[in-house]
Amino acid sequence: MKPVAVTGLGVVSPFGAGVKAYWEGISGGVCAIRPITLIDTEGFRCRIAAEVPDGIAGSARRTRADRLALAAAREALDDAGVVRGERAEAALIVGAVGGGMLEAEAWYWRRARGVLEPMPRTLASSFPSAHADVIGSVLGLGGPRETVVTACSSGAVSLALAADLVADGVAPLAVAGGVDALTRICFMGFNALKLLDSAPCRPFDRDRRGMSIGEGAAFVVLEDAGRARAREARVYAELAGYGMTSDAFHVTSPHPDGEGMARAMRAALRQAGVTPASVGYANAHGTATPQNDRIEARAIRDVFGEGRLLVSSTKSMIGHTMAAAGTLEAVATVLALVNEVIPPTAQLETPDPEIPFDCVPRVAREAAVELAVSNSFGFGGQNVTLLFRRAA
Amino acid sequence: MAPRVVITGVGVIDGHTSGVVSQFLDQSEARRLSRVCQFTVAAARLALADASLDPQGGMALLIGTEFGDMVSTIAFVDGYLRRGPVGLSALLFPHTVMNTMAAATAIAVSAKDLSLTLNAPTVAGELAIARAFAAVRAGRIRACLAGGADEPPPFVVNILREAGAGADVRGEGAGFVVLESLDSARARGAGVLGEIVGAAWRALPARPHGIGRSAASRAIAAALADAGADSAEIGRVYTSANGDGPREAWERAILDRALAPHRPPKRSLSLPTGRHSGLAARTVATAASEAGDRLALVHSVARGGNQVAIVVAGPGSASRGRPTDEASSSAVQDPPRRPEERALA
Amino acid sequence: MEPKEVFDELKTILVTRLKFDPRRAVDLTLETTLPKDLEGSIGLDSLDFIELSIALEERFGIVMDDSADLAPHFMSFDTLSRYVASRTAGA
Repeated sequence: MKPVAVTGLGVVSPFGAGVKAYWEGISGGVCAIRPITLIDTEGFRCRIAAEVPDGIAGSARRTRADRLALAAAREALDDAGVVRGERAEAALIVGAVGGGMLEAEAWYWRRARGVLEPMPRTLASSFPSAHADVIGSVLGLGGPRETVVTACSSGAVSLALAADLVADGVAPLAVAGGVDALTRICFMGFNALKLLDSAPCRPFDRDRRGMSIGEGAAFVVLEDAGRARAREARVYAELAGYGMTSDAFHVTSPHPDGEGMARAMRAALRQAGVTPASVGYANAHGTATPQNDRIEARAIRDVFGEGRLLVSSTKSMIGHTMAAAGTLEAVATVLALVNEVIPPTAQLETPDPEIPFDCVPRVAREAAVELAVSNSFGFGGQNVTLLFRRAA
Repeated sequence: MAPRVVITGVGVIDGHTSGVVSQFLDQSEARRLSRVCQFTVAAARLALADASLDPQGGMALLIGTEFGDMVSTIAFVDGYLRRGPVGLSALLFPHTVMNTMAAATAIAVSAKDLSLTLNAPTVAGELAIARAFAAVRAGRIRACLAGGADEPPPFVVNILREAGAGADVRGEGAGFVVLESLDSARARGAGVLGEIVGAAWRALPARPHGIGRSAASRAIAAALADAGADSAEIGRVYTSANGDGPREAWERAILDRALAPHRPPKRSLSLPTGRHSGLAARTVATAASEAGDRLALVHSVARGGNQVAIVVAGPGSASRGRPTDEASSSAVQDPPRRPEERALA
Repeated sequence: MEPKEVFDELKTILVTRLKFDPRRAVDLTLETTLPKDLEGSIGLDSLDFIELSIALEERFGIVMDDSADLAPHFMSFDTLSRYVASRTAGA
């Protein structure tokens, strides 16, 4: 693949608005998983999540998810120094799952309890595609516009799709990312599947008992590398390759051998034209379910070999932010390359002997790494690996 | 040179054909699939059978959808509202994510390559086919099922209408075309139904759920440029007209301006069945079969500004050099032109 | 509750929550196995077992402890009926 430059970053995370707050949080090993305030959790075993703190800018007439997305996309464009006139050609790819469901649920819940009230305007914005139409309209993005839904890997797929458009010359630059606000459906569903830990999740720990959910938004600006050089843009990193595969195995369980995951990682390496040994860090999907972490570790080992590679899970600090996760973790990976610091896996007390990697327990590690991968896997066996190269 | 992208199969299941769904599913499979997933799997198998293609793992899947499996999502929520946490169904939960049709289909037909679900109002199927075309032509995938699926709950359709997000007439169903490179089709001796020669998708200035004020657009010109074609070559236009008056008027104005001074006849296949994301596959296949020796434009535009243009050629366009007896029949037709030749024509 | 009565309830759950064809439920015997990798079973996978355990919690008011290894109880209608009967007897 023709390498594509990452020239802008924007984040709204459980650490608040902004890339700076996000990096301080994750490089500090801070866990943002706390008791849920946005929705009623009565009667559920798990009652915690990583919520975005109060104070998100934007009109209350927009859904929470739209506000998160807009703030992050705007930060990314401003960070890249992309001015209004350049935006008309920019592509916009959004990974999303829950859409504006949080507000739609609130209305539906009251309605089910007999409270009759006028239909809120936000109901028309319940679908995932709503975010792209809001961001595109407000920020004036006139290039190709797509909303991709691949469950928990949506936020990583969006970057891959945007990279295609830039590499093919369809758009000179692209804004790509993912967003999800907490929703009742997500919270209840993972509870029903018994996949949630009642305490903050502990990826790669021997005693891990499931995931924690979270919310947030992250966007990046991807740009033709030549164009970025010509306008003397700051280049954080290059998206050098990606792999997207489908397990075609089970609706909720990954293939037990991690075959589809390994295929995605190998495809990313092949596309970037690099060897497994040249990669220094893997930002894992690392959900902290017993099954995911074991199978993912097996797939990483199959591709990269045992030991050497540093592996950590950002979800230990911000939970699983659903469609935002793939982008938030891509940003974490890029910042790890830029800052030469590997964010840790928080809450990791007792390493699982079945996971043969240094999972950077609790404290960030200084390490200058040239190449890093970010893994994202979704329900339905949707595997994505993004491979980033540190800017020259 | 970039590979040419041909259509080698089509399968559509909708209101008229849903009786065939059970023929394409076994009982234990059907138990776990929601209705829209059943449609989708059946349409995928129909398209693969039409293309005589066995995925053997190396198959990509691109599904456009507007509503996902909203019917199951509502059922999941209602389970809780009626009975509390024990009323939540673990089986329904995966259906609340819009990629559920893609997941079911990937498993059913063993498609292990790229799998994408694209969500957009009223243009999702066309968007998935355009994206699939671009991926095959760039050599990223060899063959794929591209199309869409929807089962819009009347309750949700009414909400959208009341919220001013469009009064479209909705249908339900699923549909796919099989797209592959001409080389791949030739190598396995597949029949060719037509060719996609160019595609582009862009966003027009419009507020969310709104109609744009301008008829200026870029996707049609970009798709024609992609095809190396001129608007004079477009013999027919297939629109996304669907009972939403303001949107239809906008689309007409966009088409008239982009194709001026030409005014090829326009029609929409949505009108008899109601629009669903799977209809894009039928539209593209119909456009190919009716293109004759000219080109057809499949166009759609959504409230909010998403616009897709796909330029389609008939089977004659791709048939030169086909290894089977069809090669002789194509000799009596106009010699097919490659895109770059078209630009000179 | 007797294992035989539990078995009848399980058949109902199979139809209402696991979406089995009612005609399929008629053929079932106590010896019929559940997990899909067993020959002649009704073909339940991991997700079906979660659904089934939620349904058991709702119908019989028991709590299925997800840290305990319940797999041996979910082998056949016989093992499951006896397990549920023993749990309800203690309640």
